[in-house]
Amino acid sequence: MSNPTNDLPQATEHRLEELEKGLFTSDLSVNEFLLIKEVGFHPVGFVMGSSIYHTGIQTRKWSQSQELTKLTEAMYNARELAMNRMEEEAAELGADGVVGVRLDVNYYEWGKDAAEFIAVGTAVKAEDGVSRLNQLGKPFTSDLSGQDFWTLRQTGYMPQGLVMGTCVYHIAHRGIGQTLGTTGQNVELPNFTQALYEARELAMTRMQDEAARLGASGIVGVRLEEKSHQWGSHTIEFLALGTAVTKTSEEMTLAKPTTIISLDN
Amino acid sequence: MTPTPSDLPEAAKRRLSQGAFTSGLSVSDFAACLEMGLEPLGLVQGFCAMQWTTFGSFGRGVTPFAGSSSGYVENYQCPHGMISSEHRMWGQNYEQTWIENSWRDGFNSAYSRMLEEAGTLGAHGVVGLIDSEGPLSDVGVVEFHLSGTAVRVLDAPAPHHVWSTYLAGQRLAKIFEAGYAPVSVVSSVASVRVLSSCITEYLMGGTGAMWSVNAETTEIEQIVSAQNESRAIARSFVRAQLHGDALHGASMTGLTREFAQGDLEIQSRLSGNRIRRFKDFDPLTAPRPTVRLS
Repeated sequence: MSNPTNDLPQATEHRLEELEKGLFTSDLSVNEFLLIKEVGFHPVGFVMGSSIYHTGIQTRKWSQSQELTKLTEAMYNARELAMNRMEEEAAELGADGVVGVRLDVNYYEWGKDAAEFIAVGTAVKAEDGVSRLNQLGKPFTSDLSGQDFWTLRQTGYMPQGLVMGTCVYHIAHRGIGQTLGTTGQNVELPNFTQALYEARELAMTRMQDEAARLGASGIVGVRLEEKSHQWGSHTIEFLALGTAVTKTSEEMTLAKPTTIISLDN
Repeated sequence: MTPTPSDLPEAAKRRLSQGAFTSGLSVSDFAACLEMGLEPLGLVQGFCAMQWTTFGSFGRGVTPFAGSSSGYVENYQCPHGMISSEHRMWGQNYEQTWIENSWRDGFNSAYSRMLEEAGTLGAHGVVGLIDSEGPLSDVGVVEFHLSGTAVRVLDAPAPHHVWSTYLAGQRLAKIFEAGYAPVSVVSSVASVRVLSSCITEYLMGGTGAMWSVNAETTEIEQIVSAQNESRAIARSFVRAQLHGDALHGASMTGLTREFAQGDLEIQSRLSGNRIRRFKDFDPLTAPRPTVRLS
């Protein structure tokens, strides 16, 4: 199963055909469902995309901090495949976007160096019939909850896409000389600082590049995640994720906040 | 890499020179920022990886008279006399000033780098600051990481210095509404090492009655004293950073590490927001009582 369109399994097409007849499924809570309706969208179906990817191995130098570009590329491609398939499902339903997207990575005992990348979310369609597809002509994606989606719309912004940047980085081990030279001292280790700084900034820059390709004016809800996956403690994946947004209206309809005293917990 | 200007990595400068804003704020906090007239400019961050050792004073633990006399020290004598070579003849609480200083160096380096990133963006302040520290891949290396969202005050003149706060969204709005403005975050760590005396050790092991110590449930004086002192030291460090301003939203957290039986480190961390009054007290609108249906 590769990237091109229409590579969805037969079971998926059968499920989507049922959804096209009017029945919708969603993982939205009742409150989220009502708020999505409030801003003029209707859920059309729960959509997902998956990719089982062999991430492979890459040799690394013991004493050199460096990006492991092959692993970075693998982690990036695998998520892209899962996201694309989810967008494909949404497009099949005629959706304008997907909200509440979650991206997960699962490892199984049967697949050494392989991982399953899954993207799931709820496809939504504008009730006024006006297309809300993003600049690339695809349904917008976003990891925002229903509440956040409603709030964002009140500020005049519209999500364009879930954007991400990743960087797999190997942090050098310290040599005997370096270790002995600082024995018993609490001091900064500039090489380590620089390596970590570089890795995170690379991940964030790549995320910003994706947002730029969508013509976004900004990214909200940025999260920085770190995982060693199965590579050992010195190899870390830095993942930056957020929702790219554009300003579609100068009107801000958000009600002025009121001070409250909650009578429950 | 020292905490002086222009020690940001090349990748950081490249990222910050791009146009689009990034924000680590939740959508609610983002909306509240816009409502207050704060324009998010970018997610800013600072790091510092520190080599970390808990052994900073030669001879500590061998005799109660070893080590530096700076900081808090309290000795405990055994009331039982020589019983066996395994029976502890003395105990001691002492402040680990080298841990406190190193923590301050690490935090301040990461903090100044974050402010430097914010300054590069022309920000007035950093809101929603999140700080964390934790072990890195190598044993004995601790990483300090601070991040927040740089903001510009709309229609305000260029900033002289960048302010910072842990607050964001409605909590920040309420501070402004009450007539206060954020100045900076303040944070400190106090570290007290506990080398248990015989009584402390027996009480902690639940065998106090064997040694004529009160068999009932009772407080362990040496541990209580260490806890109180570490909190008092953390408070005094933060007070020194306030320079007459007020502290808001302070939170005190404690951490206990056990290195060996009867050998503990008690850490207290106090963090909060340094705020300054910029307008006279203006009572807030009467709050509306509400009951949530969810």
